[in-house]
Amino acid sequence: MSQIPAARSVASTAVLLCLLAWPHGHAKAQMKSAITGFGTLAAVHSTQDQGDYTVNPNSPGQAGHSKAWAFDVDSRAGAQLDVQFDKRWSAVVQVTQEKSVENSYKTYLTWANVKFQATPELSLRAGRIALPLFLAADYRKVGYALPWLRAPVELYSLIPIANSDGVDASYRWQSGQVKHETTLSLGRATARLNKDVTGKARNIVGLTESATAGALTLRFTAAQTLLAVPGAEALFDGLRAFGAPGEALAQRYDLAKRHVRVFSAGFNYDPGDWFVTGESGRINTGSILGDQTASYLSTGRRFGNVAPYVTYARLVANLPTWTAGLPLDGLPPEAAAMAGFLNDTLNFQLRQIGVQDTASVGVRWDVAPNIALKAQLDRVRPRGGSIGTLINVQPGFRSGQGFNVISLGMDVVF
Amino acid sequence: MNRLLRILFMCLCLCPALALSPRAARAADLAVIVSARSPVMTLRADQIADIFLSQTNRFPNGSEVVPIDQDLGSPLRNEFYSKVTQRTPALVKAHWARLIFTGRGQPPAEVAGNDAMRKMIADNPGMIGYVERSALDASVRAVLIVR
Repeated sequence: MSQIPAARSVASTAVLLCLLAWPHGHAKAQMKSAITGFGTLAAVHSTQDQGDYTVNPNSPGQAGHSKAWAFDVDSRAGAQLDVQFDKRWSAVVQVTQEKSVENSYKTYLTWANVKFQATPELSLRAGRIALPLFLAADYRKVGYALPWLRAPVELYSLIPIANSDGVDASYRWQSGQVKHETTLSLGRATARLNKDVTGKARNIVGLTESATAGALTLRFTAAQTLLAVPGAEALFDGLRAFGAPGEALAQRYDLAKRHVRVFSAGFNYDPGDWFVTGESGRINTGSILGDQTASYLSTGRRFGNVAPYVTYARLVANLPTWTAGLPLDGLPPEAAAMAGFLNDTLNFQLRQIGVQDTASVGVRWDVAPNIALKAQLDRVRPRGGSIGTLINVQPGFRSGQGFNVISLGMDVVF
Repeated sequence: MNRLLRILFMCLCLCPALALSPRAARAADLAVIVSARSPVMTLRADQIADIFLSQTNRFPNGSEVVPIDQDLGSPLRNEFYSKVTQRTPALVKAHWARLIFTGRGQPPAEVAGNDAMRKMIADNPGMIGYVERSALDASVRAVLIVR
């Protein structure tokens, strides 16, 4: 995720707002602005005490090992300023307050872009814009917009980048009764992969096509970026020193500079009284960061203001999460010890590639026009020797054992 | 035990009734209107839903359209969305939360009451709105009557 510390983001927001508002403020009588906001307050309890349950590693929650009841898994707040200068030009700035990798709450500049509506069908945007990799990727933090307490973690925890600094173009078109919207995004971003690893994503190219016919929406996305992650040179240079087998391992797992490819396909059928939605997404980093596919299927029914739902989600790794590594046979004792250490390091990293499934039941209750209360129970099972989507995993953790997560939350918009 | 079961049964019967009660609160006919000067003669409910939910910004004839809402929380507005888009106020709000907070759109402008709405629509051939059927006059044209 592209993120700036609080002071800088607030300062740049203020500067941007002044720049945007000043030349137009007196000139255009048509100018309109709106300030809106959203927030979620949620308490989460996990029965897995050997690791922390979190929604995304770059916004680390502490439910399970660190806290019996954690408020930092889903709780966040956001505020947005929309300015419509005239019929064609508008701008949006959004800041969010949420948990940072440094384990404290911080303010982030989520969006800051200017939009030019060239025709009713074609819009162009420049600045910091949403990267709509998955169906709910760009609004997953607005709890009120979701039928669930949170977007399924199996898929949505895979997103290292939520926004990119660049441009996009959206075009609406129609074929028969089917309405289409095709979006092309170009940009760059800082990818905060976890507490220790920050990468640079350059040359982001994303193409999203969504088609709506009646209550059915289908959506496809393909995206690619050149991801450069420093910090693992010691491991891969060490492997290369062991000749051909080491070269082969480094070739396979090195993450210094790799093309990351993302594909996703999703659908949503929502005639009003009930909904069914599903999605499958693959992120292939071509490196030790993994090649994973996550899918979910969810359905719910609306009884007036009460909407219960069930969801099943699954995350699989498309590569083995264990490697034999360097052959130790015939190595002198010191070299064998070094090779053994490198193998352990590789396997430790491979174990971080999550394999997991979750079955969830929950309910949304719209108690007031702007307030939704939600409760969700998840049965989570990390599998295949992996830690799943957990973080801060302790030595006593055993993969393959299921655990329960109970979440109670309140979403507001204003 | 028997009494407990009976109470449980009553609760199960009451819950949906309570949850659905706001919908039954009102049932006046409403008319979806354009200016009498507009060339648009008639629209289907799904075409109107697309316009009000920002799925399209053109009339089927290709001309640009701007939807206008009644005040938030007004019974007529809730009835309009319930019957024309099959969405509760909360669902409509969630729909707009998705568009607003991703910078993709803003909900329609609002006017208060049938008279203000009729005047606004009559004066602007590119707009579409809705009023109670009894508030219709020659300055506007009903493109759909919702019962």
